[in-house]
Amino acid sequence: MRAEKISETLDDAADAGGKATEAEFPIPYLGRSVKIVGPHVNVDMNQSPHPKNARGELGKPLFNWYRNTVSNDPLTRVSAPNHFADRRHFLTNLINRSTKGKINPQKVAVDDPAAMTRHIKAVAHYLGADVVGIAKAHPTFLYAGSRYVQDGTAEDAYQQETPEDLVRKFPYVIQATTAWDYNKLQAHRHQIGDAAYHVSQMKGVLMLKALEGYIKELGYTALRGVVTPQAAGVAGGIGELGRNGLVINKNFGARIHMPDPIMTDLPLVADEPVDIGVEDFCKICRKCANTCPTNSIPFGDKVVFNGIEKYKINWLTCYKLRPYVHDYWGSCLTCVAVCPFTKPNVWWHGLATWALHACPIPARPALVHALKWIDDRFWGVTRATRVSWLGYDSGIKPGDQACTVAGCTASHEGKSHSGAVDGDIGYYAPLKENTNRFVKRDA
Amino acid sequence: MVLRLGPFKIPWLGKDSHKDDPYWGFFIDTPPADLANTVTELIRNAPEGNVFPTKAELHTPEITSSHVKGMAEYFGADMVGIVKLSSNEVPSSLPSPPPRGRGEGEGEEAYPFAVICVVRADYDPREAPGIGGQAPVQNGLFISFVLSAWIRELGFRATAVPDPDAEKLAALAGLGTLNEKGRLVTAQFGSNVHVANVIRTDLPLAADG
Repeated sequence: MRAEKISETLDDAADAGGKATEAEFPIPYLGRSVKIVGPHVNVDMNQSPHPKNARGELGKPLFNWYRNTVSNDPLTRVSAPNHFADRRHFLTNLINRSTKGKINPQKVAVDDPAAMTRHIKAVAHYLGADVVGIAKAHPTFLYAGSRYVQDGTAEDAYQQETPEDLVRKFPYVIQATTAWDYNKLQAHRHQIGDAAYHVSQMKGVLMLKALEGYIKELGYTALRGVVTPQAAGVAGGIGELGRNGLVINKNFGARIHMPDPIMTDLPLVADEPVDIGVEDFCKICRKCANTCPTNSIPFGDKVVFNGIEKYKINWLTCYKLRPYVHDYWGSCLTCVAVCPFTKPNVWWHGLATWALHACPIPARPALVHALKWIDDRFWGVTRATRVSWLGYDSGIKPGDQACTVAGCTASHEGKSHSGAVDGDIGYYAPLKENTNRFVKRDA
Repeated sequence: MVLRLGPFKIPWLGKDSHKDDPYWGFFIDTPPADLANTVTELIRNAPEGNVFPTKAELHTPEITSSHVKGMAEYFGADMVGIVKLSSNEVPSSLPSPPPRGRGEGEGEEAYPFAVICVVRADYDPREAPGIGGQAPVQNGLFISFVLSAWIRELGFRATAVPDPDAEKLAALAGLGTLNEKGRLVTAQFGSNVHVANVIRTDLPLAADG
């Protein structure tokens, strides 16, 4: 009897605590594309794909691909995680493992947070960012457990503090990121697409490290490896969450990285989530789901996973393909390349996203059908564009050897100077029909 | 500043100005209290990696040169030039070249070519010690680090070190002329440029100029 009473008292106290927490940290509005609808357990990044794989929990092929393979492409060896021949050539590794600088004891006073917000965005752009957003921090955005930076360290003095305490101390999250080159991205599932992805990723890591250092020079804390990047991106108005699980931006579509953001006590003004019509488009479009080589993107509706209502991709099947294509590419990018939002950052793209934003929500399906028809008609249902760049050529079939560089007279052993490689078709490995057999569609 | 009309942006009506930003001067001119907060120090102190044991199959020197320049521009260089070096153009800071296989490259210059990358500099890094003022140096270090690593991964020697004659070599490569102070003046950016660490290499290239 007494034990029951104690238990009830504890439950009441827990409820009261939960309500108090909810009153202090009301559920944030994340836009129309993703919602927090139930209890959420903070994600422990030790249970995410790369750490699980590094521990060998995803099987030998994936483990060996991640830890024991050297890329056959020199550019990949200096720009992609884990597939280098010499770790010292991979700048991101050097940055992520570097010693952390100290906070400047002479703090710069911030009388006007709006002016500081404009300044920090201008600084991020000056250092190389293509998109910058400020999110108001919320405990659900934070990782559980220790800090996480891929292939590096992000330890700090606040590791033992709860997400709530961290949010109280550091109420803002800066998400600044770089976009991938549109033209090279067209050669997705190819080393040219890898170059677009990995080089912009390196530039982004460098830019964020410099921004982190600058915030410390201003006299404020800059924590890394604490916040889920997608949550910061959506809450900070960088974009909406698409069916492909990626944050889709109004200027660049899905071709932006979501790197490790900076959590800070620098006084700022947070941005609001945006509505650019991704929610309406993804309900109808399904181009990413149709073209995904591993059928990892759902065709159906959103689901509630860990208290979050969103489209839930199958990360394991997405991940599983990689050891089998290691000779041809490292990062798939198909769902990015085919997304109708992924276009050059030019006026007609701005006009289309503005029209979606300005269109009343009930009328949007008709506009989406029209825009998707235009996308299918002019950019194709799938992407098979031939891209040539610095000796790389996606018009050469996977496994074939040819030099297609105009005017090259070098004697390439085992390669033809192939005039036979003509036309505008790009070849990408593997073909979708070859992967259907090991991953079935969900609908 | 850009003028916005609905979805349209008209950037040519005015260039970005930071005169209304009360903190911009701090960003450009205040030297960092802790150098560990800068990326430039991090890259400067980075050790050089090994040359990949297998040489990549190359195109003709002219095409390889265009690929090296294309890669440098993709990494962020605004101008790139290539110079053929003679033995008297070696700075004292240059490390001794890694050994080649027996009989290979004997009697040849260890680094017969220099690749010079130039980036635009809104502020002169010699006079602007802040993290923002040093941004061109940061960009130049990024380019020379990754480009030299890429050449080593192609299987050729490449080393990027600070060079007091960098601007002279840039002028030799035809990227501009030297003014009376010995500073590089380019047709595109005038003297608002920073010359990155010169990459010396034995990759077979075709020199400019």
